[in-house]
Amino acid sequence: MEFEEIYLKYSPQIFRVCMGYINDHEQARDLTQETFIAVWKNLSLFKHQSKISTWIFRIATNNCLRAIEKSKRITTTELPFNLPDIQEESQEEKLTFLYNCIAELGETDRIIVSLVLEDLPQAEIAAIVGLSEVNTRVKIHRIKEKLSTKFKHHGQFE
Amino acid sequence: MDNLNELKKVWLTANTADLPSSDEMVKAAKTYRSSKLRGKILVIVIALLLSAFMLIIMFDEKLSTLTFRLGGAFTIIGAMILVITNSRSIGRFYRFNDFSNQEYIKFLKQTRVNQIRFYKKTQVASLIFSSIGLLLFVFQMEYKNGITGIVVYLLAIVYLLYAWLVIRPTRFKKQSKKINDKIKRLETILSTLERNDK
Repeated sequence: MEFEEIYLKYSPQIFRVCMGYINDHEQARDLTQETFIAVWKNLSLFKHQSKISTWIFRIATNNCLRAIEKSKRITTTELPFNLPDIQEESQEEKLTFLYNCIAELGETDRIIVSLVLEDLPQAEIAAIVGLSEVNTRVKIHRIKEKLSTKFKHHGQFE
Repeated sequence: MDNLNELKKVWLTANTADLPSSDEMVKAAKTYRSSKLRGKILVIVIALLLSAFMLIIMFDEKLSTLTFRLGGAFTIIGAMILVITNSRSIGRFYRFNDFSNQEYIKFLKQTRVNQIRFYKKTQVASLIFSSIGLLLFVFQMEYKNGITGIVVYLLAIVYLLYAWLVIRPTRFKKQSKKINDKIKRLETILSTLERNDK
């Protein structure tokens, strides 16, 4: 697979995962760029022991976890407990709300939920994060519960 | 959560239109590592230019006194120490291509060991040579100038003391904190993951 093809196929996904983790557009762009620079430099060394998507997502998630200075600036503002009923929220507002809910989760949970929302199979998520499939399934279940609680509190998606 | 599909729909609305094109990305990849190592490259270039300048001056017959030549030689030794250390460090960064977090932590720990060795030994040696070199130079240029010479000499000493006692420890503390925080944070995340997997 050529770099251009890889980039076109995976860059939007990687950007969304980075955005889910860091909750900042500029920093997510930087992390996406760092990921594809690493992919470009190491593509010839890729040994096909795993799927290429697993390899790329692993690079991206490792980059996210290593981004120490950037992560300090994660927007983790507490959400107001009782939001007034919002008649018609725009897609953008819904997305911001989703990012803010994800930002309240722990570091690895943020990565896992981003991969879930990218529709990756649980086995691949387990391989990316380095957990067993069973534990990944348990974690995903717990994260969904946490998110569900947050959404219910704020009267979203009911 | 029953609404996972709805969340996925929202998730996919993120704007990815302003991501760079693949050509721009390749261009960025070619210059990326050198931009990360720009500081080290700059030190090497400045040290080499300074050494070349010193050599030219040292062989100028009008200026060729013992103190001048000694000053030049000491400064060149100090500069060469910096060139060698920074070249080695760049080589280490270029060779590191592993993406496992464990390997990355190992790399960071080695960086920390190198930083401490640089602070306690290499930088001390380089600074001693450069400081003696500078003071000999200033002495050569100013010893006939009376009060002005003394003032210039004192200023040089104050600058060197500032570099030794303020800039050096502050920079070391800042860099150490950065790398220690990074190691600690990654180790915490990895140990949490390991605990979860038991």
